[in-house]
Amino acid sequence: MIQVMNLSHAFKIGKRGNEKSIPVLKDIDFRVKQGEIVSIVGKSGSGKSTFLHVLAGFMVPQKGKVLINGTETSTFKEAESAAFRLENYGFIFQNFQLMPRLNAFENIELPLKLQGIDRVKRHEKVKALMKETGLDNVADHYPNELSGGQQQRVGIARALITNPPIIFADEPTGSLDSETEQDVLLLIQSLNQTHGITFVIITHDEEVAHIANRMYTMHDGQLTEGSDQRAI
Amino acid sequence: MQFKDQIDFVRQHIRRNKLRVFMTILAATMGTAFLIVLASVGFGIHDTLRDEMLSNRLVTEIQVYESDDAQNLEEEVDSFKKIEHVKAVINQQRLGTNSETILEDYEGYHDFVVSDFKEEAKVGFELKEGRLPQEAHEVVVGSDFGTALYIESEENEELTTYEGKLIGEQFSYAIENIEGDFVEDPMTFTIVGIGEHPTKEWEYDRNIFADVSVLPELEKLYNADDEKDMDPWYSNITVYADKVENVSKVSKEIKEQGYYTYSISDELKQLDVFFLALKAGLIFVGTIAILIASIGIFNTMTMAVTERTREIGVMKAIGANPKLIQRLFVMESAWIGVMGTVIAILLSYGVSMIANYILPIIVFSALGEGNPDDFEIVFSVIPWQLIVIASIISIGVAVISGWRPARKATKIDVIQALRQEL
Repeated sequence: MIQVMNLSHAFKIGKRGNEKSIPVLKDIDFRVKQGEIVSIVGKSGSGKSTFLHVLAGFMVPQKGKVLINGTETSTFKEAESAAFRLENYGFIFQNFQLMPRLNAFENIELPLKLQGIDRVKRHEKVKALMKETGLDNVADHYPNELSGGQQQRVGIARALITNPPIIFADEPTGSLDSETEQDVLLLIQSLNQTHGITFVIITHDEEVAHIANRMYTMHDGQLTEGSDQRAI
Repeated sequence: MQFKDQIDFVRQHIRRNKLRVFMTILAATMGTAFLIVLASVGFGIHDTLRDEMLSNRLVTEIQVYESDDAQNLEEEVDSFKKIEHVKAVINQQRLGTNSETILEDYEGYHDFVVSDFKEEAKVGFELKEGRLPQEAHEVVVGSDFGTALYIESEENEELTTYEGKLIGEQFSYAIENIEGDFVEDPMTFTIVGIGEHPTKEWEYDRNIFADVSVLPELEKLYNADDEKDMDPWYSNITVYADKVENVSKVSKEIKEQGYYTYSISDELKQLDVFFLALKAGLIFVGTIAILIASIGIFNTMTMAVTERTREIGVMKAIGANPKLIQRLFVMESAWIGVMGTVIAILLSYGVSMIANYILPIIVFSALGEGNPDDFEIVFSVIPWQLIVIASIISIGVAVISGWRPARKATKIDVIQALRQEL
């Protein structure tokens, strides 16, 4: 499903002519099968977020390839990448990243609007999913009227609404207390089982990482499969 | 994203910043209304002057003169009538011999003009009173007919002019024949109408106007031979076009037949050119006001983009096309432009109506005269063309002002935007 080959990337800092290159991703090889939950664990600054950004198409890597179901996405132009994301990916963010002036219902509806789906169909889908994710009683609540856990549920529902084959989660429980964290993790697991969605979860929390079928660790830009104590 | 949803999206954003958007619309409204009202004055004064010129039949009038190549003008009257767009051809013939008019005890001298009143009626022979002649012995007299009829007072030898009623009165008219003798049997005419006073205050009209049917009788009295040289009549031929636009076409055809022509519409063209330049100048000045308003739109849109950086980042992350984001912002600024324009149009019509009602009162009271019934000043006219021009300029400027902020929105880096604090 996801295949990454020889991926390397470096950030350039400093003024022009006197730039320094700081490598953040070093020769990464990575594979994810359909329906898996894969977690990438690493300390802050290890390069795991950059890796997610490359996977999601937010940035173009300097070296290497990213293939999604055989399609090379790492060479996409901005508009192509956006269109691909809309159809194939869902995103769960640490800060939920909900639209503050849209209510829960409208936030979940947004990707369907972007897809140009009919209002009636949209509403049907959103209502059904809100029920499934336990949000049906907060449909007209705005993000600032929701608890952290509820906001993240809305975030998850928004990621899920287009039935994407892959969902990327960047520290999905980073802003939640431990009780809510468990709720969210259970929801992710259940969605993975019922919808067969592939999850790639970035986290610094080993407990979160343990819900995954496979775990990778990122350390200084290098990715290795399995638990690496240096990385946690 | 469906167009309807795009509209909803834009409306939602506008609702969020009501005050700021309102102020921007207000600026756009003022700029556009300024343009429309300013240019409407140009249109208004132009129309007033044009109407004034058009209202007297002079504008569609083409005076025709004989030239060296073509001298049989009178015979051509019928052929002129056949030219396309000719409304009427009037051949006014003035009697060039001595005459004497007697009404009751008053005597005087009046010019005698013969014309085809069927043709005159087509272009509107203006009467102060009465009707046009229908028979050979019926006449219309000029407004100052009575002032040329005198009676000598026996007491102090002063001359008194006729001030009695004219309509229905009969007078006798004697002419000198070709030998220079007054005819013994003068003709009798009944006055059926009085002509309108000439537009120029100082002019007077003492003519007698009779229908062309009286011509054979008068010629018999004059006793001229058939030779043209002995004819006592002086012809003045005027051709009237149906519309001002056709004057040049008709003129051209008459010229092609070898005659000279003159028309006031030649001068009207110069007036039009002058006012076209004036209107263009006024629209240009008005456009500057819109450009000033556009700074407000640019500012509002730039702030909107800056404020929504994180939201734009989220939208891009979940798959919004950069072009869609650009379109949403351009639509927002276009909406400001459209609202500003619509309100400005309504406002301008209001201002225009008030100006047309109040300004003439001020002008005429400043001049110390009442508003004369026959002269109407229109200060401001808003034709649809002005609305179209102003709308294009205003909405165009709004879209251009929103363009750069919208481009900026598409360039927002997703990663940076997502890192922004809530």
